[in-house]
Amino acid sequence: MAVYIKGMGAISPQKTWDDETLLSQAVGYRGNRLTCIEPDYNQWIDARTIRRMSRIIKMGVTAAFMALKEAGVERPDGIITGTGLGCLEDTGIFLMKMTESSEMALNPTPFIQSTHNTIGSQMALLLQCQQYNQTYAHESFSFESALLDASLQLEDYPDQNIVVGGVDEITEISHTVYRRFPVFRREVNNTLTLFESDEPGTIHGEGAAFFVLSGKRGEHDLARIEALTTLYKPDGHQLKTGIKKFLDDAGISPDAIDLVLVGKSGDATHDQETENTTTSFFPSSSIGLFKHLCGEYPTASAFGLWLAARMLQAHHTPDVVVYRDTGRALNNVLLYNPYFGTHHSLILLKSCRDTL
Amino acid sequence: MEKLIADLKKQIVEALNLKHLKPEDIGDDEPLFVEGLGLDSIDALELIVLLQQQYNIKISNPQEGPKIFKSVKTIAAYITAHQTA
Repeated sequence: MAVYIKGMGAISPQKTWDDETLLSQAVGYRGNRLTCIEPDYNQWIDARTIRRMSRIIKMGVTAAFMALKEAGVERPDGIITGTGLGCLEDTGIFLMKMTESSEMALNPTPFIQSTHNTIGSQMALLLQCQQYNQTYAHESFSFESALLDASLQLEDYPDQNIVVGGVDEITEISHTVYRRFPVFRREVNNTLTLFESDEPGTIHGEGAAFFVLSGKRGEHDLARIEALTTLYKPDGHQLKTGIKKFLDDAGISPDAIDLVLVGKSGDATHDQETENTTTSFFPSSSIGLFKHLCGEYPTASAFGLWLAARMLQAHHTPDVVVYRDTGRALNNVLLYNPYFGTHHSLILLKSCRDTL
Repeated sequence: MEKLIADLKKQIVEALNLKHLKPEDIGDDEPLFVEGLGLDSIDALELIVLLQQQYNIKISNPQEGPKIFKSVKTIAAYITAHQTA
């Protein structure tokens, strides 16, 4: 499926924009919820348009604009968005207002903008992009589905530039609802030390990460996405078989993987199996972790892909990411993202350092 | 009428999220749509809901919309006429 990353943009609980140093000053949070560090959106979006946008729309649109800027692309040939839960803030507002007015009046703006595809459509409106536009809402496979669609589009039209990304937000309502389920820890003193204690539950995250992809190799490509797969509710044996098949199909052996970037979430319920799988399957690879930086959310793999590609671009693994360092140079990176033990995705990236 | 106009300006700024404007920046006779404030069709729907929620007034004839929503003053006049009726 080889597609090339031309540009990227990320808004996350870390300073992932206007930062040349790649997570040299990682931000830790107290509690069980991480919040995005947001840029001044007025620098990216017209003031007349921004007034109607909720936070997730601003985050998604701006991350996509950052990616387009880095890629040097003014108008893409397609926009593909993945979002697990969509525009929750607007959904909450219109439902609350509908309840307050005894279902007699419906505020149009939050209603119109509560749908999952609002982010992609706002991008299209602002960019005047009337081409392919698709949104995937498949829980933790949303971003992977968007990425798969982009790779299929680029297989047919390799010269195109397609914007693809993943975005999800935390709202007061969603966090309150999630807290009723035993999926998040009650309190974490510093989220950067998430993996130091062996407890059930993870931390709630959010973020937007967008990419400009093309099927055509260029001089300034940041990384190459070589292969992608998803595994739904595999048992231990199926997971190992699935990883082996993925690597075989991609024509790469486990010992050729320089770093496995793992989406362990700090949740002892599932992390042990993830740990066993990665350490037994990749004994000679370095291992990195990222969910202490972005938290757990359906499209966290988009943040993982952003981080993996930035590391390949910089030829460097930030200290805050390193879990096991074997000192290997980064050429092949495998992003392995498990989500609450049910959704597992694998994305293989390669460096673009080799000459054209 | 003056108080109603001042209230309406505040409610419009809040309902339409016109953060770049202060209520007093809106002229009583300033056109709300296209020229002037540059509002659009979604804003028109928001204003209809605002009249319904804040003043319990339903606009029965949509054809009257452009006349009613011409300016803050025309909205205030419509409210006054229909609340006292």
